[in-house]
Amino acid sequence: MTRAEAVALTLSSLADGDIVVAADGAISREAYRALDRRRTFYMLGSMGQVASIALGLAMTRTERVVALDGDGNLLMGFGGLAMVGGLKPANLYHLVLDNGCYATTGGQPALSRMVDLAAAALGAGYLWARRSSSGEHTRGAVESWLAARGPALLNLAVDAGETDPAPRVPMTPEEMATRARAALTSA
Amino acid sequence: MSASRRLDALLEAGVGFVAGVPCSYLKKLFAGCAELPAGFFLPAVREDHAVAACAGAWLGGRRALAAMQNSGLGYCLEVLTSLHLMYRIPLPMVVSDRGAPTDYEEHRILGQGTRRLLDLFGIPWREAHTGEHEAEAHWLVEASERERTPAVLLVGKEADV
Repeated sequence: MTRAEAVALTLSSLADGDIVVAADGAISREAYRALDRRRTFYMLGSMGQVASIALGLAMTRTERVVALDGDGNLLMGFGGLAMVGGLKPANLYHLVLDNGCYATTGGQPALSRMVDLAAAALGAGYLWARRSSSGEHTRGAVESWLAARGPALLNLAVDAGETDPAPRVPMTPEEMATRARAALTSA
Repeated sequence: MSASRRLDALLEAGVGFVAGVPCSYLKKLFAGCAELPAGFFLPAVREDHAVAACAGAWLGGRRALAAMQNSGLGYCLEVLTSLHLMYRIPLPMVVSDRGAPTDYEEHRILGQGTRRLLDLFGIPWREAHTGEHEAEAHWLVEASERERTPAVLLVGKEADV
């Protein structure tokens, strides 16, 4: 399964009220192409901060917050795992789309091939974490993850290839931030 | 009333979320933060994660404050530039003002460049003074929200009130 297919499948499994933080780079572009939502915040930079932004949202909102993260991204901001595991927001759901490499910069290998990200999440204090290969079982894995007690992390293996790149999100950063906040705060 | 008059003034000015990493110059402020109700204070593991969490809390509808030692500004720079400045997300920041010639060696190089670093990225800053915490809290919230930018209150050891 490609990363874009896994992103689309996950977005189709969410409720309208769920809040999404989409990682900088390809994940944001693929999320926008699959299903644009006013309650999705699209990151353009700040690699490594997906879990931290999601934690700030989870601490201040009652809705479910879904972080669409990448393996290299999570490794860059590994301290974010400790903050989520330590504070244990029950409404935080963390998906790590794991292609084992830095795909958008040429496929250089990432240390996620040697580091057990689900075990790290459990060690940090997440209440549920699993690794899953992608394929016909993916929908079931996503459903189990979203039904688990949070904070919950699903480390989902996806294809390493970069085919069919998604275009950039056609909004200015200010529009992205203003729209997401307005969707959450206007009655 | 918390352990910190400065924190009380910031809460009075509308701050509804704090994330940060402690500094010995900000002991009272962090003592006050530890007494806040659940969901209001995030003890972050590094300053870049603190400011990123503040951006999330702002998206969630709160006025979010970051507190840290000025050494943490280095860790924050990527997030301040490619998140807060680029998306225009307000961020009031209380930052300790370390690095005087009498301070320890490890604080001097970044400490003595703090004001130039903030000026380089157009981040407004102001020095805190004892007894002016209410006006300073008002300035910090106003400055960050008017231009939707990070804004910094630099707090010396004696101004941790």
